[in-house]
Amino acid sequence: MAGISIEQIADDMYQLVAESAGQKKLKSTDLTKAMTSKYGDQVSKQDCKAAIKLLIDSGRCVYGYFGGSSIELPHKEASAN
Amino acid sequence: MSTTTERRTDIGPPHYEQFLHPLIKKNYGQWKYHEVLRPGVLSHTAESGDVIYTVRAASPRLISTNFGRKLTALAAKYADGYLRFTSRNNVEFLLANKDNIDPLIKELEEFTLVGGTGRSITNVVHTQGWVHCHSSATDASGLVKVVMDELSDYFTSMKLPHKVRLAVACCLNMCGAVHASDIAILGVHRTPPRIDHSTLPNLCEIPTTVASCPNNAIRPTSIEGRSTVKVDEDKCMYCGNCYTVCPAMPLSDPLNDGVSIWVGGKISNARTEPMFTKLAIPYIPNNPPRWPEVTDAVKNIVEVYAKNAKPFERVGEWIGRIGWPKFFDLTGIEFTKYHLDDFRHAGTTYKRSLQNRY
Amino acid sequence: MSDDLKTPLLDELEKGAWPSFVKDLKSMADKKPMVKDLLGQLEKSYADKRGYWKHGGLVGVMGYGGGVIGRYSALPDEFPGVSHFHTMRVNQPSGWFYTSDALNELFDIWDEHGSGLLNVHGSTGDLVFLGTVTDELEPTFRALTAKNWDLGGSGSDLRTPSCCVGPARCENACYDTLALSYDLTHNYQDELHRPMFNYKYKIKMSGCPNDCTAAIARSDMGIIGIWKDDIQVDQAAFAEYIDSEMDIQGSVVDKCPTGCISVEGKEIKIDNSNCVKCMHCINTLPKALRVGKERGAAITLGAKAPIVEGALFGSVMIPFMDMSNFEDMHDLIDRIWEFWDEHGKNRERIGECIERIGLATFLEGIGLDPVPQMVKQPRDNPYIFYEEYFEEEEEA
Ligand code: HEM
Ligand code: HEM
Ligand code: HEM
Ligand code: HEM
Ligand code: SF4
Ligand code: SF4
Ligand code: SF4
Ligand code: SF4
Repeated sequence: MAGISIEQIADDMYQLVAESAGQKKLKSTDLTKAMTSKYGDQVSKQDCKAAIKLLIDSGRCVYGYFGGSSIELPHKEASAN
Repeated sequence: MSTTTERRTDIGPPHYEQFLHPLIKKNYGQWKYHEVLRPGVLSHTAESGDVIYTVRAASPRLISTNFGRKLTALAAKYADGYLRFTSRNNVEFLLANKDNIDPLIKELEEFTLVGGTGRSITNVVHTQGWVHCHSSATDASGLVKVVMDELSDYFTSMKLPHKVRLAVACCLNMCGAVHASDIAILGVHRTPPRIDHSTLPNLCEIPTTVASCPNNAIRPTSIEGRSTVKVDEDKCMYCGNCYTVCPAMPLSDPLNDGVSIWVGGKISNARTEPMFTKLAIPYIPNNPPRWPEVTDAVKNIVEVYAKNAKPFERVGEWIGRIGWPKFFDLTGIEFTKYHLDDFRHAGTTYKRSLQNRY
Repeated sequence: MSDDLKTPLLDELEKGAWPSFVKDLKSMADKKPMVKDLLGQLEKSYADKRGYWKHGGLVGVMGYGGGVIGRYSALPDEFPGVSHFHTMRVNQPSGWFYTSDALNELFDIWDEHGSGLLNVHGSTGDLVFLGTVTDELEPTFRALTAKNWDLGGSGSDLRTPSCCVGPARCENACYDTLALSYDLTHNYQDELHRPMFNYKYKIKMSGCPNDCTAAIARSDMGIIGIWKDDIQVDQAAFAEYIDSEMDIQGSVVDKCPTGCISVEGKEIKIDNSNCVKCMHCINTLPKALRVGKERGAAITLGAKAPIVEGALFGSVMIPFMDMSNFEDMHDLIDRIWEFWDEHGKNRERIGECIERIGLATFLEGIGLDPVPQMVKQPRDNPYIFYEEYFEEEEEA
């Protein structure tokens, strides 16, 4: 069943984050739900967790926090002068 | 040995066992009873007959490593190097040797107070305030300091009807969870956020900002063609939730920010069930550095309680027995329209019987 | 003290019996420009009656989404030392037990990398390192992990679990709070460090219904020790209380909420079938009375502060759970998170989620049966949505 690789999921997630940048902040669960609706049971929650970890650890995405944690593109410290 | 370049993650905290006094390790789970030898000093006796002594002292919670190193030095000197902190920011030294109690207390009293056990006012649960938080309506460390200066006698003694728990939270977020304390001081904003329409469109997501408001007071709008938000001032309860999500909606207002005072909450299940605090005083202006109106108000409530409550009655239990009209009467606190709930389920707070004291 | 730092208002807080944080902070101000500017900004707050901090969004250590709170001064030109002033939450050991050596090591790290100021402890339980700059976050983290410390939670994640002193020094402990806290913290490192929930999830553990960690008020999930069988009585010790000056009738018998205590001669009798485990008699007569032997824990769910939907106490979800192993607890937590993941909304705590969806639906979702211990009383309104009913003439 494990048809989709973690890398593939991570790439898809990155795409989503990039597309919604500046419009909507996506959470872990949003990404996971998007993947399960796209690939059905070809992806598991564990796969999605691993993919998010990959995105973060590789530095392609970072965690953000404004009233709730989100996954975002890296950018300059928001409130810093 | 790990090399200096290896990056470790997800290791969690160290195992607590290495921090337990040998007497505690030996008698773990085998404690038989405890006694409060005097204010701030406990003894715990184990089935084995072993006894461990605890000396409890106040910390201001916000400390420097200088203060911290004084504590660790005293622990090394008197407590075989073992100490812990309580859920209310007190420090406890764990002593195997009874003879060390007096010299330890003597050294502690050079820079702090020993007490906080039994029927006392122990340390104050509190939050960050102007020292560190963006949404505070008042300072927390300063309020704790001035209130406890006034009440320190109750920290070092055990003469109240029962324990009185104080808490300070500097805004409605209540990071310190004040809402179940005997007496709580809560910072309040009283005016709606001021919206900076020039920066809002860049700084904030409109849908998230709109959704952040618990009262649906925020609506999307557009000003000079730029999307921004507006606040329905009749619906806003100044909770600051929007500001946390959207920095372009600051809430601080030196003229109108201040504190409110709440009474009668409790956590423990002893005798009566846990209770929320209820409003006693809706608003006192900020008056730093020593907030005299606040310390007077708190002291008054404590003293009226001390005089009128029966042994073992917490503040909320005492008020439960005498009724709210009498509470306002005895304390001289004015009952106003702000004491009437108008939030969700307000009706549950209305009197539905004629059982009143006149 | 530096000459150029004038703090007439804060100086007022050096007076009085209670230990003064101002005095303490000043003792650091010469060593640390950061502390000096913190005092400067705080003095300004005292003068202007308002805070000067900005909310920080995006700082942390690599790979983690929690454990660091970004904070920036709104007046960076005036107070450059605190232009960045981030907090790091260091995951405390179970029961807040330390040795002097271990704490001194932590102080060394913080003196080197940060302001040297801390909170003992934050309301969630962590040892809070208060104030450093973005560039020092990663080096501090490395220094911490080198000494076997790690960061706690913040954001929409599992917050750092915390527990009372429990069996380490309390005769009331009905289960091993320290061990469970350690176990959960380690078992859920991923959930702690990588925010994947709708909102925060706090777990607090108290060993008995005295609830010294305020689990019922301050945690989404409270695990509170409780016993099922009889209160253990040492009649000889009770007789000593009788012989002392103590007013047993007024202080104990009359205070029992269910009136289940009586005294015959020098013997105490407890109708344990009516005892509600309130702890009052045990607290008052610690030498004579002890919690029973058949011990476990009750699970409460849903406490939270007023934001967003109004505050809630936790409510009883499981009246009694065996605590001799922690497997069932992992299983329960996993099921709750699964449900919350599926049905919760953004920024909706578990308590709010249960209220919105209905307790019955939630119980069905996580596979628990309804029991009367979960409610104060059955419903008193007749608006019941029946799911089981007979279709007309179905069987005809
Ligand atoms: C005789 C019965 C009791 C015993 C043996 C007892 C024991 C303890 C112990 C060992 C601590 C330190 C816990 C920790 O920090 O982990 C503690 C703290 C605390 N307990 Fe209890 N407790 C008793 C009754 C109560 C009751 C009835 C209440 C509430 C009404 C209560 C509320 C608290 C609170 C708020 C703290 C934090 C205290 C502080 O830091 O000064 N306790 N208690
Ligand atoms: C504006 C009004 C309120 C004020 C000033 C207030 C104040 C506080 C304070 C000071 C605490 C910290 C308690 C502690 O030290 O343990 C607290 C916590 C709490 N309050 Fe309130 N409260 C308010 C409204 C409410 C309401 C309406 C409810 C529920 C119906 C509520 C429920 C709670 C709960 C459950 C906690 C513990 C929350 C947690 O830690 O997550 N509060 N509140
Ligand atoms: C929507 C609600 C809340 C918001 C927006 C919020 C926001 C914040 C912020 C900004 C801080 C950082 C303060 C600082 O160090 O500068 C903080 C700290 C903290 N919050 Fe909250 N908070 C909320 C609710 C709560 C609740 C309900 C609790 C606990 C019951 C809580 C517990 C804490 C704790 C333990 C800290 C660490 C600082 C301390 O111990 O004083 N928060 N919160
Ligand atoms: C299954 C649903 C209910 C039924 C079958 C029911 C039936 C009745 C009946 C037969 C009476 C006596 C009327 C009379 O004396 O003329 C009554 C009275 C009353 N009902 Fe209900 N009722 C129901 C639900 C409720 C609910 C939900 C409420 C309020 C929350 C309510 C409030 C009252 C009140 C206030 C009275 C007058 C009581 C009195 O005279 O002492 N009823 N109801
Ligand atoms: S209670 Fe409010 S102002 Fe105080 S630390 Fe928490 S969020 Fe900040
Ligand atoms: S302060 Fe609170 S009630 Fe007022 S608009 Fe902001 S979120 Fe809504
Ligand atoms: S909650 Fe109970 S077991 Fe834990 S320290 Fe308090 S009295 Fe002891
Ligand atoms: S624990 Fe409470 S309910 Fe039970 S016998 Fe003692 S006083 Fe009564």
